[in-house]
Amino acid sequence: MKLDSARELKTQLLSAAVRTLEAPAAIRAMGVRAQSSDVVNDPLRTVALGIGRSGQQHVLAVRLQRRALVNHPVLDDIRKKAKGEVDIRYVGRVLKLETPSKLQKRRRPLVIGCSIGHFSITAGTLGCFVKDRKSKATLILSNNHVLANENNAKKGDAILQPGSFDKGKRPKDVAANLQTFVKLKARAVNFVDCATAAPVAGIAFDARTLGSFGKLAGVGSAVTEDGTVVHKVGRTTGETSGRVTAFELDNVIVGYDIGNLRFDNQVEIEGAGLKSFSDGGDSGSLIVDEALNAVALLFAGGDEGGTNGMGLTYANPIHAVLDALRVDLLT
Amino acid sequence: MDDPALESARAAKARALALFSELGDVVGIGLTKIGDRYGLKINFSSPPRDPSALPREVDGVPVKVEVVGTIRKRSAG
Repeated sequence: MKLDSARELKTQLLSAAVRTLEAPAAIRAMGVRAQSSDVVNDPLRTVALGIGRSGQQHVLAVRLQRRALVNHPVLDDIRKKAKGEVDIRYVGRVLKLETPSKLQKRRRPLVIGCSIGHFSITAGTLGCFVKDRKSKATLILSNNHVLANENNAKKGDAILQPGSFDKGKRPKDVAANLQTFVKLKARAVNFVDCATAAPVAGIAFDARTLGSFGKLAGVGSAVTEDGTVVHKVGRTTGETSGRVTAFELDNVIVGYDIGNLRFDNQVEIEGAGLKSFSDGGDSGSLIVDEALNAVALLFAGGDEGGTNGMGLTYANPIHAVLDALRVDLLT
Repeated sequence: MDDPALESARAAKARALALFSELGDVVGIGLTKIGDRYGLKINFSSPPRDPSALPREVDGVPVKVEVVGTIRKRSAG
């Protein structure tokens, strides 16, 4: 199809197709909500139309935002009008992208991926929210070196959101207080770099949204194998995707202010495409698999290596983190 | 019970760490897929002194070597 023809077809189909597809959704929404119809005037998630390419030719790109529309008869009509020159895909709910510039600002409600840190460090990332197995209290999860300043902190210390590197100040930006941390050891093997903080009373938070990836589903399997596709939302690089390149990695030597520390049983990840999976400030990010199940907690990285040469990222398996802190993931 | 090839790779880790530590600064030794087999991934912080001396297998388990540079905590600044 020529570009002009694709544009013309798109314009012709847009209003008619959207109107047809919206009809059953509106009826269903009103039925469930039992509220007046003027409340249901927000645009409904139906279909997006655009122009794509197939080789040298242009095609009509149809993006479905609700699973229920996949077999809708209106798609047959679209196929017919486009003479088969159409690329139909289900894309689901399109969510707001979390960019670094937004994640480094003050965020209320608190969100997964935003800047956070003990008052004496620069900044790291709020990984996610967890529930203490004993007290049932809701807590923030990140790294020891983000929330507990590499062991140099005490319970109750102020945790700033955004972190001080992003202009977070006491007392106005105190979002939580240090609860507990697993001590980093200089003369023994470490398995985790993790800590929790108790959100200040009354502060709002969103425990499930992982930027535009969707909603956190739960906890993944105990072993994250080579080749697993992963995502994260972090303070510095925002939303990134990557692939596990090694697992059960021992003798990972990581530079801290308190010296070089050894970590065993770690996960190694490279960034997708030409991007690094992480950079300084992403420490504490929760790493999830394609099904949005938590698999690891990001804590370290380097600038060399990886298929794309953009460096590698290291993370603690999430099961080890949750067990060490005696908490469960909040979803 | 895990895949026997995975168990073999796990079992070879300790000996591989001792062997490769003689040849450079090892900053990671883990499990990875090499082709369709489980193998060992050895990370060096800098290029090994004599690349030709690096074993390609340890106890029959294939080895992949990568130079990954210095690894740092990922806090800002």
